[in-house]
Amino acid sequence: MIKLNGKQVPVSKDLYEISLLDFIRDQVLLKGTKYGCGQGLCGACTIHLDGIARRACQLNVADAVGHEVTTIEGLAGTSGETGSDDLHPVQKAWIAEAVPQCGYCQPGQIMTAAALLREKPQPDADQIRAGMNGNICRCGTYERIHRAVARAAREDQS
Amino acid sequence: MTYTPQTLDHSRRRFLIKTGWLAAGVTALTSCSGLIPVLPTTANPKDEDGSSWIQILADGRVRFLCPRMEMGQGATIGLSQIVAEELGVTQDQIECLAPDSDQLGPFKMTVGSEGIARFSGPVAMGAAGLREHFRQLAADKVLLPFDQIEDAAGGFTAAGNFIGYGELVPDQARIIGAEYRADVVPRFADRNGNSRAIGKSWKSPELKNIVTGQTIYSRDIAVPDMLYGDIVRPPRYGATLKEAINRGAETLPGVVSVVIDEANDLVAVVAKSPFVLADALEKIETTWQSSPDEIPDDILDVSLYRTRGDFEHSLMDEGSARSADKAAIAVTSANYTTSYMAHAAMEPRAAVAWVREEEVEIWCGCQDPYFVRGRVAALLKRDQKEVVVHPLRMGGGFGGRVLCQPAEEAAVLSARVGMPVRVQWDRETEFQHNYFQPKFSHAIDSGLDEAGHIAFWRHDFVSSPIIFGLVPSPFASILDAFVADEGTARGADMPYDVSEHKRVRYSDIRTGIPTGAWRGLGAAPNTFAIESTMDELAYSAGKDPLAFRLSQLENNGGNSKRLSEVLRRVGKMADWGKSVDKNLGLGVAAAVYKDQTFVAVVAEVRIDQQREQISVTSLWCAQDCGLVVNPDQVENQVLGNLIWGCGMALKEKLTFNEGAPGQLNFDSYEVLRHVEAPRTFIELVETPGAPPVAVGESAFAPAVAAIANAAFAATGKRPRQLPFDYDSLQIQ
Ligand code: FES
Ligand code: FES
Repeated sequence: MIKLNGKQVPVSKDLYEISLLDFIRDQVLLKGTKYGCGQGLCGACTIHLDGIARRACQLNVADAVGHEVTTIEGLAGTSGETGSDDLHPVQKAWIAEAVPQCGYCQPGQIMTAAALLREKPQPDADQIRAGMNGNICRCGTYERIHRAVARAAREDQS
Repeated sequence: MTYTPQTLDHSRRRFLIKTGWLAAGVTALTSCSGLIPVLPTTANPKDEDGSSWIQILADGRVRFLCPRMEMGQGATIGLSQIVAEELGVTQDQIECLAPDSDQLGPFKMTVGSEGIARFSGPVAMGAAGLREHFRQLAADKVLLPFDQIEDAAGGFTAAGNFIGYGELVPDQARIIGAEYRADVVPRFADRNGNSRAIGKSWKSPELKNIVTGQTIYSRDIAVPDMLYGDIVRPPRYGATLKEAINRGAETLPGVVSVVIDEANDLVAVVAKSPFVLADALEKIETTWQSSPDEIPDDILDVSLYRTRGDFEHSLMDEGSARSADKAAIAVTSANYTTSYMAHAAMEPRAAVAWVREEEVEIWCGCQDPYFVRGRVAALLKRDQKEVVVHPLRMGGGFGGRVLCQPAEEAAVLSARVGMPVRVQWDRETEFQHNYFQPKFSHAIDSGLDEAGHIAFWRHDFVSSPIIFGLVPSPFASILDAFVADEGTARGADMPYDVSEHKRVRYSDIRTGIPTGAWRGLGAAPNTFAIESTMDELAYSAGKDPLAFRLSQLENNGGNSKRLSEVLRRVGKMADWGKSVDKNLGLGVAAAVYKDQTFVAVVAEVRIDQQREQISVTSLWCAQDCGLVVNPDQVENQVLGNLIWGCGMALKEKLTFNEGAPGQLNFDSYEVLRHVEAPRTFIELVETPGAPPVAVGESAFAPAVAAIANAAFAATGKRPRQLPFDYDSLQIQ
């Protein structure tokens, strides 16, 4: 079993060796977690494994068995917030800053940002830059990503 | 060139698989080359077209079948704002859809930042025509004259009573469109009016879906009973299949079909599960045959052509060389080179195809769904009318998705198995199997006269075809004999005054490396060479680079004025002329994109002597792009351009060996990352009355050149080859 976005998902043993990313996308059919490079280089596939940001393309299903996995679809449910559209504060900040262009990298960016803020609720500019550096945005929205992370931290504080 | 067949043996194939080298060649599926090639959709939109794009639904809402494919550039939002302006509706009253290929006639491929520039007029005419049609319906309903029906939000008022659009849709109808009317006047054209939507920063209606992972891209499509396919693609450009031996791929659980069709160079597996594909393909040994002597990319060296005086095209040759040489006192000559580059959009392409007797359906994101339709029809020998493409949002395009090769692959496989088939490319395939921005090699000679004006400008360059890069080989040679590739030459006509002699010549040479559209086409390579030379001239004359540029923009009319204005503006923004720390340098560059968008950029570059690194710390950009329909979208585009410019200047480079790219993922093909992103400062300068123009690729060319010029200012070493870094500049 993998606890995926709060629900127990049974896993058959013959899928243990496939990548967690393929499993999430093509077995569970949750398509919000993206494939970008398959080599741990771009961050598009970022999920949380027991609350820590990990690259789903670099994990096997077996690595997640018995653990808790959160994907972008389940992120809002982890924030403990209800109401106001049930979005996670980071998702709200992303909308407020109108970050995305094509949007493809953004689920991964948001998952990385949410984990970063859990670890360091008030990151300074360098911590944001370093913390987000593993996630590529080919459209070049880095500055807006940075603003959105800072906004989420700010609004969390207030 | 002599053709020496060479075989790649089995062990090499193994090696290729292990390292992920599975692909090559844009036209792997050769059966596509019929007698007449299927070409991309290139006709510009006309005012008449707009009426088929916009309809009113029974509930009074507006349906907009948007003729631009969305890949993050925001054209669907800007055009929706124009619809809203004409019809007086709010954002939530518009349903903006990507039309299936059987819902609308072909519209031009989504390229060249033309979404607003070319389509705003027809969209405004279509929406205004619909509005006037409904005004007539309202007049008929309340039995008042047409001119007493007044505009109101979401409909009209007549004698003080509101009539919503929905009330005017007849009971039996669900949707109403209107015929084209040439006599309507779009509000859009009257820019003095109080606009409700134009100039407002509407946010993308897709935002919430994006941040919650609900947006559907090509890779996310699943149709019932879908199977999964993958193909063994040639390991080198131009390689053909010699032999394929199946060692039991069909025995793996879930494998539905193993396809070995040597006549068509097709080796593939279709399975019920995507997880078995890689193992199944491993069980098929393929041997490929190819011409090993790919034309080396050093034939793209301008010096070789210069010594022979041998250029295929003359872009211009004005004035007299002799008088120019006499007038010139300070002369500079230099060569500049830019590299092959990849689009590297974050979403590697994918498609689902379902080939049935009565209809072929394709789901994919692409910049030209009608091109995909035509190619799939030709491949399957079906009528184009029987093929329907359902376009999806793309995870980045940048010119790289005019074709959708997996759609063709999936169609071929679906035709064989009679079920819907999904094919998706991995990152390595995306790098290896698409087309590229070609390398450019430039030489520019220029000289100043006694008064400090440019007396002559002679620019020669060689590169490869871009707009016609994808034309298949038998036609390409005919085409090349007659047509100069304008894409390769984009931006090559420098905007400054030249008093005596101005000459620009070039050659667009096919090298066997597939080349095609990439953000801005030739604009950035050409601008880099031009604006570096301008910098050299300024320094050689002992002038300030910004003031020097302004002094060369006195005689050229309206373009000069607008370019001067953005140069002055960016100078102010960056506090040009201030003294900076000795490890910093400021550089400036400017360009006119497609004769319409005026951009100037100042870059600040920092040299870290200890770490031996160069980084871009700040970029200031002033852009005059006429009427700005959505300031926030435009600023996001400019931001993307500036970041792209940093990548081209400092990082991106593709090399080739043995007929395949040497970089197949983001470890070796580096794009700009978050920590490397500079601070940006963007100002949009609006020239009153100027129409909206291209913004998706306009700011990036001067950004590249400004960064190079800043590096010179900081180090005294001029980057002549992109990308450059601390080592290549030989700073120490
Ligand atoms: S897809 Fe996992 S890091 Fe790129
Ligand atoms: S928004 Fe397109 S890759 Fe980040």
